[in-house]
Amino acid sequence: MSSDLIMVIVVGTALAFDFTNGFHDTANVVATSISTGAARPQVAIAIASLLNFAGAFISISVAATVAQDVVDAGVITPTIVFAGLIGAIAWNLITWSFGLPSSSSHALIGGVVGSAVAAAGFDAVIAEGLVGKVLIPAVVAPVLALAVAGLAIGLVYRIVGGQRPGVVTRGFRYGQIISGGLLALAHGTNDAQKTMGVITLALIANGTLGAEADPPLWVIVSSATAIALGTYSGGWRIIRTTGTRIIKMDAAQGFSAQGAGAAVILASTHFGFPLSTTHVINGGVMGAGAGKRISAVRWGVAGNIVVAWLLTLPAAAAIGAAAYGLTRLFGTGALGPVLVTLASVALIVAIFNRRARTGAPVPAS
Amino acid sequence: MAVIVETQDLLQTIAASLIAGVGVTVVFSVAIWGAARFADLNRDERPLAAGTAAALAALALAVTVAAVAIGIVAMAQK
Repeated sequence: MSSDLIMVIVVGTALAFDFTNGFHDTANVVATSISTGAARPQVAIAIASLLNFAGAFISISVAATVAQDVVDAGVITPTIVFAGLIGAIAWNLITWSFGLPSSSSHALIGGVVGSAVAAAGFDAVIAEGLVGKVLIPAVVAPVLALAVAGLAIGLVYRIVGGQRPGVVTRGFRYGQIISGGLLALAHGTNDAQKTMGVITLALIANGTLGAEADPPLWVIVSSATAIALGTYSGGWRIIRTTGTRIIKMDAAQGFSAQGAGAAVILASTHFGFPLSTTHVINGGVMGAGAGKRISAVRWGVAGNIVVAWLLTLPAAAAIGAAAYGLTRLFGTGALGPVLVTLASVALIVAIFNRRARTGAPVPAS
Repeated sequence: MAVIVETQDLLQTIAASLIAGVGVTVVFSVAIWGAARFADLNRDERPLAAGTAAALAALALAVTVAAVAIGIVAMAQK
């Protein structure tokens, strides 16, 4: 009975994380389309929501990585997964509150690794998986997106440079509907799978599924729904940071940034790398800006984002470890997760109140 | 420390990203170039050149759509 209640709390917390992932990360996906005028904000967000939902059904490679290659499922318990999720949600909300596009994916993995280490020591971590499938791609992906977008925009300007600006801008705005949609699809397939992976990990730890099991259909459908609803809720603060503060983009740059981001995320998803869409799209935006003119990128803002990236894994791990310690103060039953969940809800309310006091979200235009 | 970097997968990811990201963007740019040239040449009453530009634009657009579709299908097949 107690383990069933813990599992219900874990699944509920994972879907709550997925929801926060949607409104935190997907803002990055639509920011470029909105800032270049390719799509109206509500239309862009609605399309992104639908494509995030669809994307979640495309692949399960990333879910398998999260469930089996980062921490040792043999020593993991549902309570460890729960504490890791609390670490991820807390860090997501803190960075969202400050308008920083940090990585939900790395927050999730950091949170789970932190709580696993607190519970079972460093032996619980699969170093090969963590380094080879998370840390190395975490460094490579944004640099790759930057290079792809920079190279692409250089070639674009050579090809269309002598043509009438009106035709070119209109063309790339139409193109951005496709590239933005592709990016939303890529986001759905990579990010929703992380929630599928962590729920699957908890189900394996609980003995509900076998060690090598794929995510059940109900896990896929509920994860897809949660990320789509989160996306529709929007994330205006981060849209503003990504869409206008890093660089002021034209439609060709927006298309190049989104195309680069989609290509990197889709290729990485194919190989099961759970990378951050936030890292990738910001890398693409910087590349598209730098490809036109290095000084066009507001490197100070970009630097703040890099700092948030660097902090994410250790900060989420620390919060995940603390959440595990707090949960275990109340024993191994359901009381700890229940009390920590209530405390987390109080934290969420406090953060929303803080945002309400500091003013309404600012549109991107 | 053991060899923990999945070099082959990482290199294939880099190659696929470069080819798809740069390739699709360049091909779509050719489509826009063709459309812009078609408008100009049509206005200058040069139907043959305008038709060639329009055909190039249509071909480039078709290649773009095909590349996107192939990319999604390829990704979903693992």
